[in-house]
Amino acid sequence: MNPETLAPEWAWYFVAIYFFVGGTAAGAYFIGAMAELFGGAKLHELSRDAFFVALPFLLPTPIFLIADLGRPERFWHLFFSPKEGIPYINLQSPLSVGSWALLLFGLLCLLSFLDNLVADGRLRFAPFARFYNRIPRKTYAALGSVTGVFIAGYTGVLLNVTARPLWAATAPLLGPLFVASGASTGAAAIALLMLWRKRAAGEVFRRLEFFDRLALVTELLLIAAALVLAGRYAVPLVTGFWGFMFWGGTIVAGILVPLGLAWKGRHTEGGGMTTIMLPAVLILFGGALLRIALIQAGQV
Amino acid sequence: MAFRWPLKAKTDHGAVLMHVDPRFTRTSAMCDLHVPIRAGTDILFLGAIINHVINSKRWNSDPFFREYVVNYTNAATLVTPDFRDTEDLDGVFSGLAADGTAYSNASWAYQRQPAPGPAPSGVGPFTDLLLQRVPGRPRTDSTLTDPLCVFQLVKKHYGRYTPEMVEKVCGCPKEKFLRVAETLLNNSGRDRTANIVYAVGWTQHTVGVQIIRTAGVLQALLGNIGRPGGGVLALRGHSTIQGSTDISTLYHSLPGYLNMPDARKAHDTLKDFILTEAAPLATSYWGNYPKFAVSYFKAQFGDAATADNDYGYDFHPKITGDHSHLPMMVDMMGGRIKGLFVMGQNPAVGGQNARFQRKALAKLEWMVVRDFFETETAAFWRNSPEIRSGELKTADIRTEVFFLPAAVVAEMEGSFTNTQRLLQQHEKAADPPDDARSDLWFTWHLGRRLKEIYRNSANDRDWALRNLLWNYDPDIAEVARFRIKDEPSAYKVLKEINGYTWEDRKPLPTFANLKEDGSTVCGAWIYTGVIPEEGVNRAASRKGDEWISPNWGFAWPANRHIMYNRASADPAGRPWSEKKKFVWWDQVAGKWVCPSGEGIDFMPTKAPGSSGRDNGIGFDWLGGDDPFIMRPDGKAWLFAPAGLADGPLPTHYEPYESPVANLLYKQQSNPVAKVWKIAGNPYHGVADPNYPIVVSTYRLTEHHCGGQSSRSVAWLAELMPEPFCEISPELAAEKGIRNAEYMTIMTARGQIQARALVTRRMTPFVVNGKTVHEIGLPWHWGWLGYASGDVVNELSALVADPNVTIHEGKVFTCNVRAGRKGGGA
Amino acid sequence: MAKGMFVDTTICTGCKACQVACKEWNGLAPEPKHFGQVTGKPYPVAVNFTGNSYDNTGALSATDWRHVRFIEQFDEKRTAGRWLFSSDSCKHCNDAGCLNACPTGAIIRTDLGNVVVQQDVCIGCKYCVPSCPFGVIAFSEKSGTARKCTLCNDRIHNGLGTACAKACPTGSISFGDVTALKKRADARLAQLRGLGMTGANIYGYTEAGGLNVFYLFADKPSVYGQPERPVVPQQRLPVSSAATVLALVGVGVAALASFRERGDREAEEVHHEP
Ligand SMILES: Nc1nc2c(c(=O)[nH]1)N[C@H]1C(S)=C(S)[C@@H](COP(=O)(O)OP(=O)(O)OC[C@H]3O[C@@H](n4cnc5c(=O)[nH]c(N)nc54)[C@H](O)[C@@H]3O)O[C@H]1N2
Ligand SMILES: Nc1nc2c(c(=O)[nH]1)N[C@H]1C(S)=C(S)[C@@H](COP(=O)(O)OP(=O)(O)OC[C@H]3O[C@@H](n4cnc5c(=O)[nH]c(N)nc54)[C@H](O)[C@@H]3O)O[C@H]1N2
Ligand code: SF4
Ligand code: SF4
Ligand code: SF4
Ligand code: SF4
Ligand code: SF4
Ligand SMILES: [Mo]
Repeated sequence: MNPETLAPEWAWYFVAIYFFVGGTAAGAYFIGAMAELFGGAKLHELSRDAFFVALPFLLPTPIFLIADLGRPERFWHLFFSPKEGIPYINLQSPLSVGSWALLLFGLLCLLSFLDNLVADGRLRFAPFARFYNRIPRKTYAALGSVTGVFIAGYTGVLLNVTARPLWAATAPLLGPLFVASGASTGAAAIALLMLWRKRAAGEVFRRLEFFDRLALVTELLLIAAALVLAGRYAVPLVTGFWGFMFWGGTIVAGILVPLGLAWKGRHTEGGGMTTIMLPAVLILFGGALLRIALIQAGQV
Repeated sequence: MAFRWPLKAKTDHGAVLMHVDPRFTRTSAMCDLHVPIRAGTDILFLGAIINHVINSKRWNSDPFFREYVVNYTNAATLVTPDFRDTEDLDGVFSGLAADGTAYSNASWAYQRQPAPGPAPSGVGPFTDLLLQRVPGRPRTDSTLTDPLCVFQLVKKHYGRYTPEMVEKVCGCPKEKFLRVAETLLNNSGRDRTANIVYAVGWTQHTVGVQIIRTAGVLQALLGNIGRPGGGVLALRGHSTIQGSTDISTLYHSLPGYLNMPDARKAHDTLKDFILTEAAPLATSYWGNYPKFAVSYFKAQFGDAATADNDYGYDFHPKITGDHSHLPMMVDMMGGRIKGLFVMGQNPAVGGQNARFQRKALAKLEWMVVRDFFETETAAFWRNSPEIRSGELKTADIRTEVFFLPAAVVAEMEGSFTNTQRLLQQHEKAADPPDDARSDLWFTWHLGRRLKEIYRNSANDRDWALRNLLWNYDPDIAEVARFRIKDEPSAYKVLKEINGYTWEDRKPLPTFANLKEDGSTVCGAWIYTGVIPEEGVNRAASRKGDEWISPNWGFAWPANRHIMYNRASADPAGRPWSEKKKFVWWDQVAGKWVCPSGEGIDFMPTKAPGSSGRDNGIGFDWLGGDDPFIMRPDGKAWLFAPAGLADGPLPTHYEPYESPVANLLYKQQSNPVAKVWKIAGNPYHGVADPNYPIVVSTYRLTEHHCGGQSSRSVAWLAELMPEPFCEISPELAAEKGIRNAEYMTIMTARGQIQARALVTRRMTPFVVNGKTVHEIGLPWHWGWLGYASGDVVNELSALVADPNVTIHEGKVFTCNVRAGRKGGGA
Repeated sequence: MAKGMFVDTTICTGCKACQVACKEWNGLAPEPKHFGQVTGKPYPVAVNFTGNSYDNTGALSATDWRHVRFIEQFDEKRTAGRWLFSSDSCKHCNDAGCLNACPTGAIIRTDLGNVVVQQDVCIGCKYCVPSCPFGVIAFSEKSGTARKCTLCNDRIHNGLGTACAKACPTGSISFGDVTALKKRADARLAQLRGLGMTGANIYGYTEAGGLNVFYLFADKPSVYGQPERPVVPQQRLPVSSAATVLALVGVGVAALASFRERGDREAEEVHHEP
């Protein structure tokens, strides 16, 4: 680890936000897939909502990704070598593999999304409808969940395998951390949708909340571990402006408060402002700030 | 570039490098030892080494030193009893005029035998004159015990130059001094030679010439002259600054170091000129002065130069005083100069008391500046500090400025003469752009047009112009490849410098072929041999080898790389040692030989031990053991009976501006230094409380001199962007100056602002018990270019050495404070 | 045959000729950051005085492919004093972090072992920048791509040495076959050790998997601003990936725990009858 290394000077509003929305989409999709695969009838609503959440969150990611390039018009070089004229992948580069994964994941998200519409009968697409039952949707749900987690995780790996002190020192925990965070923000996003669709109640919803809390707790533990690993290189993250953002935004607002509220409201039945809306928003907020703080603190 | 060789000597041959400099510089960083001394105290430092050496056990026990010194230097020569040393007169020598501004050197003369009878004449009209005036040989005492012999005088003169005195005056620890002295002593002798290299850290002083003399004296005493690895080497400045002294751009000398005809001297006729200049030197190789001089005048006026008109001597310009740079600017300020050509100079930045010099430019009627960037000199009338401050108004400046584009070196053909006296040819790579032209083009065409204008003038004063030999017409073959077809032939110029027979225009292979009857022309005798035959240019030869490389370029005179190289053999003609063998006497062949291919700087067949003819001149007079053939006694001069304006022996004087009194003598500074007590050039007093700090100015690798050639190149500008001042943490703390922030430096001449570079590379000196601070200022900046800032020379004064009128830019006094000039951080 | 450079900092005079030669040969602009407007000047002038010894260019950048460091080591009494210089550039690592990281294959290694950024392929993702253990490669706003020393790719593929080595007056930078250069370096190191320079060390034989541009230092690498123990960042890839896979399993388990339920598969199928 060498303090003399250079920062990429990535713009947080592109890269960090991309990390966030990508992670959230992945988390949401993953939940949907799990519900689809292992959950019974009751959970289908959940998986539906999940898939509805995933795609919209994923859609802007390519824009963020490309917007930060020095040569946006060449983004396709990520997949296709302009010199050899053949597809290109660099297995040593998380960024390269991640780009391909994003492509695949995007496709699967789309399929699941359409699947939902059809299932809800919102999309009348005769041929599609006819073959509907034959579409092995469990397989792409399975595939999607894996690529999804990859999308959430590779961004952490990508940081871990650089020479920047903070990012390098926290290896190998950023991958898992972003996965956990993605899971929690994903769940929160779904929760919001369910709230909006007046479904934020009953057993299904409680399972989601349960999952969300598991994710939050894991996230907290991983952050603690990462800070220990980072040692003195964590200084920019835990002090100054980014420190404020990290402690106040991510830890307190994004994790502790939601957990606290959940604990307080654990007996109250039915959806409510404080018990659902607020925590969910805070979780999403905290998830975003976690990425921003980590990206920025790693570049100072 | 040049520094690669000392480094090579260090890494490959274990040479010890020592650096004596007030500051710890990039050079110091590469040396084994850095010795900081207060600026301007080198004579004391070197004098103390002399004292240490001649009283050392080694020097007195190893026979080598005595053998070399007794035979090859004037140590044994007796000086007239009228001579009084600085020890006797508290800092001045005998002969100082009543007003204390000039010396008469009569009392510094040698004791001589009675003059010999006149020699048979008929050799040549001018040589005959010299033959009538051969002086008697100097009296000597080879035991070196006579109190009037040079050695005893030197011993006495430097008796009080002790390590303790060095510590007290130079502010350099005794131990460091002794390490230098011992290292030099132990690395001199039969098997080893030591070498002293200097540049303007030594020259830019009111005692500049004498500092270098001290090194010469020391090297002569150590037997380090005329031998491989020895010598006192000047690292000269601009790429062919050596050439510009050889082919003189100096006001007082003609090409080849002949003197300039001078209206103040007995120079009425060519005979008078030759007598005055050559008679005192006739017993050296200068005995050939008449041939050099006549061939020179013949080269100026060609057919018009005849025996009857003294070869045009009367029409040749004569000087009427000191016309060197500083006096010239003073005259300009006084309105005595109407026009000025500035070719390759930027005095608005590089000139001492630059403000004075810029204001002098404003007194001109016209000025021509040839450069490839607009220099501050060319722009003085529109945006100089004086204009911006309102002190001068552009509208009031009558000077008409012509700014003409010059070609850069790669755009012209010619030769450089480097610091080693080596001529090296450079080809023209490309035409200069647009109207840019070489200086040769400009000068030749200007001359052509003037000659055209005055072709029919009947005035005597135009005779020289009318008859000026100007035959450098373009050579079709040379210009064939280029756009510019009227570029004069550099080859023809070099051929004239080399010399040729007037009759059939055949180049002369050696200056031995020169005649005093007008049958040969020669622009500069020292370069003869560079074009040994038509079409052969030895400056262009590029065959190097691991040693002296006789076939790489051409070293004047006669391809001799080490001058006085006869001294590399002992009096008997044998090499001093196997390790240092170079030139020696070959018994069998009966001549001097040098297998390395080096030219022999001696009479080829004069046997060791043979004595010269008392009534002869030149080589006839010199003996087989007189290696220093350009000195009238054939010896290296420890004591200079003539040739110096400020004394026969180098003496420690404080700089003209110094924060301390001279601790050795009552005489504070060089009594005959050139000073100009005129408006706009105020000086600081001795130990002036308002200006207690010593300041030294110098260069950076990243920039070149007046700076247009580097400050106009953004790549270089970003390496050293702004003027800065190197200052010790101690002084910075005292003055509340912080690193990288602005500070102001003040003298009675002006003030500038610079960034502070606080560094321990600068050392406070303890002088006679009290601390003296020294700051350092690189002087490259001006108000134009990509790196710009105040002109450091606003601070310096017009004050100079009496021998060559070099300024004292290396040391004067100042004061400093934190903050910008106008105030503010 | 891998080509490289041996930088003997002990004979570097800090003249910066290499820095300028690099810019000249490679047509690199002056660093825009170094210039600014000042009052009374119609055009931008250099304003980059740092006060850090004689180093005003500060660091390697997309337009400064070479950089000479100045390190002043003087004690208060000036008894022991050293001024160290070292000229730095891309190390052309045998296992190059920048090259490994590049998602487009813009960074290649030529037959001579030098690492080059193909300007027409680079998309400017900047991922190579934090992936260099030495902070060499940098992003250029002007070209929108990553740029760095090419080991004078054009020169060395046409039988010339590198421009910086050519310009170096003292031979502090020498270009050639890495194996031959190493012999030279070893000999020089032995010589210096012999002269009692115990601190002398060679940097780049083993560091970060070996560097084709290596240095002879008189003091610790960190004194010269080089990492003491540089590693190729991709070394962390296996573990980091494994950890992420574990995380996948982890969330999987969490999901099972949360969403798994038995029974009424039938109902499920029925549900979807159109
Ligand atoms: N890069 C570059 N090279 C150049 C030039 C340039 O401008 N830039 N200029 C060329 C020219 S014209 C010349 S004349 C040469 C000059 O070459 P140098 O003589 O090296 O030039 P300076 O740096 O002016 O002075 C040398 C040193 O003298 C020291 N010094 C000052 N006062 C004293 C003193 O009293 N005693 C002693 N012993 N040292 C003292 C200064 O600290 C300085 O380090 O360089 C030539 N080469
Ligand atoms: N305080 C202080 N003052 C000093 C010194 C110091 O050490 N301290 N050093 C002194 C010394 S040693 C010197 S040599 C002077 C130098 O002072 P200057 O000679 O005034 O400085 P330069 O910048 O060398 O001026 C040379 C100019 O000639 C131009 N030039 C280069 N080649 C050619 C050419 O072929 N033809 C023409 N026509 N022009 C050309 C360059 O662009 C440059 O503008 O400064 C002296 N001034
Ligand atoms: S600048 Fe001076 S030292 Fe450097 S190459 Fe030119 S002449 Fe040689
Ligand atoms: S030094 Fe940095 S930029 Fe150069 S090859 Fe190695 S990793 Fe790449
Ligand atoms: S910036 Fe260019 S060279 Fe660097 S990793 Fe991205 S594509 Fe490759
Ligand atoms: S090798 Fe070429 S590109 Fe690299 S630093 Fe040297 S000159 Fe610049
Ligand atoms: S050119 Fe050579 S000596 Fe000069 S700074 Fe560069 S490496 Fe050092
Ligand atoms: Mo000079």
